[in-house]
Amino acid sequence: MPISLIILGVIALVLLLMYNSLVSKKNQVKNIFASVDTQLKKRYDLIPNLVATVSKYMEHEKSLLNEVTQLRADANKPNISQHDKIALDAKVSSALGSIMVAVENYPDLKANENVMHLQASLNEIEEQISAARRSYNQAVTDYNNALEMIPTNFMAKAMNYSKKDVFEISNVERQNINVKELFN
Amino acid sequence: MKTASELTDFYYKTLYPTLNKLEKDRKQLKHRIFIVGIIYTLTIFLVIVSLKNIFFQNLDALIFIAIAYVGIGAFIYRMLIKDYTSEFKEKIIKPLISELDSNLNYTSKQHVPQHLFENAKLFTSEIDRLNGNDFVNGEIDEVKIQFSDIHAEKRTKSADDKESWSTIFKGLFIVAEFNKHFNAHTVILPDSAQSNFGDLIGSWLQSNNSNRDELVKMDSPEFEKEFVVYSSDQIEARYILSHSLMKRLLSFKNKSKHPVYISFVGESIHMAIEYNKDLFEPSVFRSLLEYKIAMEYVQTLHLAIGIIDELKLNEKLWSKQ
Repeated sequence: MPISLIILGVIALVLLLMYNSLVSKKNQVKNIFASVDTQLKKRYDLIPNLVATVSKYMEHEKSLLNEVTQLRADANKPNISQHDKIALDAKVSSALGSIMVAVENYPDLKANENVMHLQASLNEIEEQISAARRSYNQAVTDYNNALEMIPTNFMAKAMNYSKKDVFEISNVERQNINVKELFN
Repeated sequence: MKTASELTDFYYKTLYPTLNKLEKDRKQLKHRIFIVGIIYTLTIFLVIVSLKNIFFQNLDALIFIAIAYVGIGAFIYRMLIKDYTSEFKEKIIKPLISELDSNLNYTSKQHVPQHLFENAKLFTSEIDRLNGNDFVNGEIDEVKIQFSDIHAEKRTKSADDKESWSTIFKGLFIVAEFNKHFNAHTVILPDSAQSNFGDLIGSWLQSNNSNRDELVKMDSPEFEKEFVVYSSDQIEARYILSHSLMKRLLSFKNKSKHPVYISFVGESIHMAIEYNKDLFEPSVFRSLLEYKIAMEYVQTLHLAIGIIDELKLNEKLWSKQ
């Protein structure tokens, strides 16, 4: 009699540990995504200032500037899903990258103090966002691993947990952007 | 900053006359050590022989004499090489450092302040005794840097109440200004768990280390193989350890050929390279002109000062200017 109680107790303990570990991993993902979100927002807030400063000079890149302004508006809509936030991040990164590359062609802009300050801020934020993305990807990988590996996968199915997305750079954005092509 | 080969040239060409003179001193010193050694050993031997009755009864006394022989012998040796060592440091090491960069100062009897070594939290044991020498400090490319030999020890009391000292760390300790702001404390240690026990058990051991902060799994397999990272903030650890810095740290470790402990705290990067010997000491029994001996001085100095360029600490691309 006592032996079966002990075995039951051990099984209950193991189940408890698995449950808690899954919850902890899920919350870690949520926690880190909040930090990613904060950094992304800081970058979105830089955009109006950037567009205002460069639009006077950059006559040929109007479409690019409009695109980035639209992306910011999309990002500020309430209730967008995590999936959409991740997709928007990739687009904004590539658009901002193109703008900063284009700035190199305007010596007046390059020397402008406001632009230089914005460049430094952008650099700093990109570095922070990259760190946040990498942390998020690690947290999601740990979570997804727990969802797929035995024995936690049984527990995860019971708890109705589903896989989450990582931040990926799609192949299109990975290609080097030909700046001239963008401005036609 | 001069290259290693320029420094080697400087050693063999500009410092050649000084090296020659020191070589003469060294040979005389070797001779002197030999003679003093023989006289000393004979004296101890005579002492043992004359008191042999006591020793045959008491084994402890014999052990005591053996320890005393080694201890007093080391003391005598240090006294003998004292002048030669300070000549060497003043006439060879100091010019080598000035040649590397004129903005650097050298003080042979000082070391990096103990609180800097403790704040780095590279080692979890409490330090009972800290010694060091060969302190270098200055600013290169607008980056403040300081380094020295450090020997940190802890006292242990064995079962029969005998005190003994064990080494926590012996080697080179470098502190340099880092080019990013951060608030958390990130520590990078040599990865013994994964290399000894394989990935699965190794990672389990690492994540259960209660002495350390949270484990941070880095997204570079080569880096993960060599190092284990602990930090109080997952995101800041990755903010500091960009892919480019990880690559540079790996190549630095491979260049130094010794275990490297790194920590980011306050405003600086702290690196401890475990050579397990006192560096920049003049060779007594081998020629100062021998290539291998010369290279040891040149390469160690170049490695320490070179971290500014190697790790691109002079690139101020982010918010810290």
